[in-house]
Amino acid sequence: MTGPSETPSLLQRFAASGWFRYFLYSVSIVLFVGMWHALSWRLNETDPVLATYIPYPVDVAKAFIASFSSPIPGPDVYIWTLISASLKRVLLGFAIALAIALPIGLLMGAFKTVECLGKPVVELIRPIPPIAWAPVFLFAFKAFWGPIAVVFVGAFFPLLINIIFGVRSVDPMLIDAARTLGANKRHLFTKVIVPSTLPYLMTGVKVALGIAWMCIVAAEMLPVRGGGGLGYAIWTITDIGRWDYIFAIMLFIGILSILTTGLAGEFERRVYKWMGMK
Amino acid sequence: MDGHEVAIRMRDLRKVFTRDKTKVIAVDDFDLDIRAGELVCLLGPSGCGKTTVLRMVAGLERKTAGELEVAGKNVTSPGSERGMVFQEFALFPWRTVRKNIEFGLEVKGVPESERSKTSSQLIELVGLKGFEDAHPKELSGGMKQRAGIARALANEPAVLLMDEPFGSLDAQTRNLMQKELLRIWSATGKTILFVTHSVDEAVFLADRIVVMTARPGKVREDIHVGLPRPRDRTSREFIEVRGKVLAELDEEFEKARAKELSPD
Repeated sequence: MTGPSETPSLLQRFAASGWFRYFLYSVSIVLFVGMWHALSWRLNETDPVLATYIPYPVDVAKAFIASFSSPIPGPDVYIWTLISASLKRVLLGFAIALAIALPIGLLMGAFKTVECLGKPVVELIRPIPPIAWAPVFLFAFKAFWGPIAVVFVGAFFPLLINIIFGVRSVDPMLIDAARTLGANKRHLFTKVIVPSTLPYLMTGVKVALGIAWMCIVAAEMLPVRGGGGLGYAIWTITDIGRWDYIFAIMLFIGILSILTTGLAGEFERRVYKWMGMK
Repeated sequence: MDGHEVAIRMRDLRKVFTRDKTKVIAVDDFDLDIRAGELVCLLGPSGCGKTTVLRMVAGLERKTAGELEVAGKNVTSPGSERGMVFQEFALFPWRTVRKNIEFGLEVKGVPESERSKTSSQLIELVGLKGFEDAHPKELSGGMKQRAGIARALANEPAVLLMDEPFGSLDAQTRNLMQKELLRIWSATGKTILFVTHSVDEAVFLADRIVVMTARPGKVREDIHVGLPRPRDRTSREFIEVRGKVLAELDEEFEKARAKELSPD
């Protein structure tokens, strides 16, 4: 035990510094990769058939790096083509969901009548997993628009629910204040309710983007193919059994999801700053 | 205005709230005239309906019965001739001080150049110079309420309604803001209806103190303070008035408590 009068040891100073956090992050990754490696190794010893599905982390890393410079075996296209196909669908589906959820959410939040009209349908459809819509959408809208429709369903509800909740959470005192200042119904809507709802909308955007990525990959894997994308690639590679590439693409999906959500987070910070709320 | 015309007129004013199918009479047989340019404090035990009276004048609550006129016109809804200042400031957090102050002018459609001229004058009047572009979050409680007062004044209302505006401020800031309000009042000549539960505040500010009864709220006593300003809280006269008002209020407080302990 060191007394309070003694100067802190190198270890203590390290623990107190900001670098310690990054050190722990690295430990987390190293431990995870280590356990993964141990699992692959153990399987190779005991069950070589099962082991082919769990490649070594180093092989996945090699596949990941190789993807930057050469086409992915199986679908035989570059990773950028796959990413842009999926990204395009995610953003389109998300944008359509936002464009429709925004007016409906604002109206449902603000007017009891609209809420009662919409609520039963929303509550009926909301619990259905978005991917359950995939067969209908893929046959109806084909390989490009089908997955977009699945993304739309996945992103729509978190956006809608957050917008409705945001409108409900408007401080009634701000409504009172605006009314005493001469605001009419339209002013209340545009100048009080909409800005109050913005932070809740941003929460919805972040949740919806995460769900959009889950939807797109699942939808692209389904048997109506031809549209390309990361999900399609994963399923196609199974034909040639390059599990190292499958894991590499999974890694790309995770990173892309982090990036889009991070971008939304950065946008959220700017909106807050612009609104003077942080 | 000659200073004698009635700015706010209330006769047999009544407000009944219905909560869970039981009716609560908040305000009953409420009679009060407030002359133009007067500063009147509504004082009463908590729950006596003083805020309800103020909200009815503001048009935020509908009266159940009786007469309520501001400048000779029946009040049915909020209007820009009646400005309101709230206890919790109620500033729009996403607007700067200047934009908060300009809100009323904005919804009226006043052109931008005129808006910024008015807001600049008001910023000067309430002493917020240098904080025009600050957001409410960056302001202290006292400064927030300065912005709240300026915002209410921007519409040039004849009447300023203040709902315990300094109730959430610390004692020092509160005393300072009371002085500031008197300064702003004498500079603008507004009619002010000021709700408070602080006897000290009422005696310091008011031309008249209207003490309300416990629920249902009626006018119990209408006290003309009659002390010259600036008032000295430690003077014998101040303490005398304070004692008188306190005695009235104590009696109502006891009644309210007795009612609470033995409900009918």
